[in-house]
Amino acid sequence: MSMRDDNTHSTDDLAADYVMGLLEGAELAAAEARMTDDAEFARAVSAWRERLADLDATADALAPSAALWDRIADSTRVKPEIPLPGARAALRGATLWDNISFWRGAGIGGVFAALMLVVVLIGALATSRQLRRELIALAQRKPIYVAVLVNDTTREAGAIVNTFSDGRVELIPLRPIDVPAGRTLQVWTLWDRSIGPKSIAVTSQSRTLQLDLEELPEAVPDQQFEITLEPEGGSPIGQPTGPTLFKGNAARAL
Amino acid sequence: MTGNGTITETQRDEAGLAHAHEAQLSAALARCAAGDHAALQMIYNSEAPKMIGIARRILFRQDLAEEAVHDAFVRIWSAAASFDPHRGSARGWLYAVVRKPALSIHRNEHRYDASDDSALDIDCAATVTRMPETSALRKCLEGIDRPRRDAVVLAYVHGMNYGELAGRLKVPLGTVKSWVRRSLFSLQECMG
Repeated sequence: MSMRDDNTHSTDDLAADYVMGLLEGAELAAAEARMTDDAEFARAVSAWRERLADLDATADALAPSAALWDRIADSTRVKPEIPLPGARAALRGATLWDNISFWRGAGIGGVFAALMLVVVLIGALATSRQLRRELIALAQRKPIYVAVLVNDTTREAGAIVNTFSDGRVELIPLRPIDVPAGRTLQVWTLWDRSIGPKSIAVTSQSRTLQLDLEELPEAVPDQQFEITLEPEGGSPIGQPTGPTLFKGNAARAL
Repeated sequence: MTGNGTITETQRDEAGLAHAHEAQLSAALARCAAGDHAALQMIYNSEAPKMIGIARRILFRQDLAEEAVHDAFVRIWSAAASFDPHRGSARGWLYAVVRKPALSIHRNEHRYDASDDSALDIDCAATVTRMPETSALRKCLEGIDRPRRDAVVLAYVHGMNYGELAGRLKVPLGTVKSWVRRSLFSLQECMG
């Protein structure tokens, strides 16, 4: 009788059922998870939403009670978190992303790692006055995401990337980086393997940079940052060509 | 003939207005993502009544509809940046955002049963004819025979699940599932 076996839902059937509101329980949770990490599914969902949107438009406009806005204003006092672009998940459900304790843990971990670095660097290394000021300033402000960039072989931390709620991103070197003549340092970020790394800065020397992420989606947890050594003026092919000096993933700060 | 000209003009104006409104909503969502609370209020002032209407068709009760709209705006505030204008309209996104808590409240707190009078007032045919005649969805829905088409409208507009649909349309569960699947298939074929 049915055209397809219910157990072998195609992506499109599943997207249609999801938009229709016909999924429940585990199926619904699975579909919501797919919204975050399956671009094809998310596209199919958007297409179904657009197809059915005229039905929503037939709803009467009914006045809400006067108190509703006050309640909403009360519940939205806190600034929104920077979400993950991979998600595009308008209707994301109770996934790991919504798990406060997971992020609290990750946040504590991230801050702890950053503070350890501050302590180690201020105390043990012959840190320049300039760097010390920057590290103290860093500790005083509140980045949303912190990435500690580490050298893969030596395990030395080379730089910190901070992402702030206003979209500002800064890269703070933790040690001088030797840049040979005719070469340059290039900073890359990778948030989606299907798109590949994007250049966010080219610099001739190791110094604090305000990075320009305007063209890119907002920073996300686990977004990768790396610094490579490239020919002067930056990589000619728009992809890292030289050795990776330091790299690391962003973790959510508290 | 002059009459036709006027209708065309009016439609063009309406399309232009809808387009401008859509652009405003998109911009307001971008501002929400950047933490601009005034943009959230702008969206509320412009869309909350329609969202209440959408939620009430699922929940019937005003207090539950307001609960859904509250949850929707909390979600809009926290997830505005996940709206991607390349994927679909801001309006569609906002309506999907309110449908979710409405459906979830409906599933948790409010089920249709035989004694639920409010569910008996539902008029699927009227809902379809409320869509503008130019609507592709309307044309394509009208191409589907009545009880099968009603299954789609009752599920989407009123949030009925398969069990509720089977009860209301008085057919076995398997039949209603197949109706929905076939109707969605024809809609997709028809609308592309």
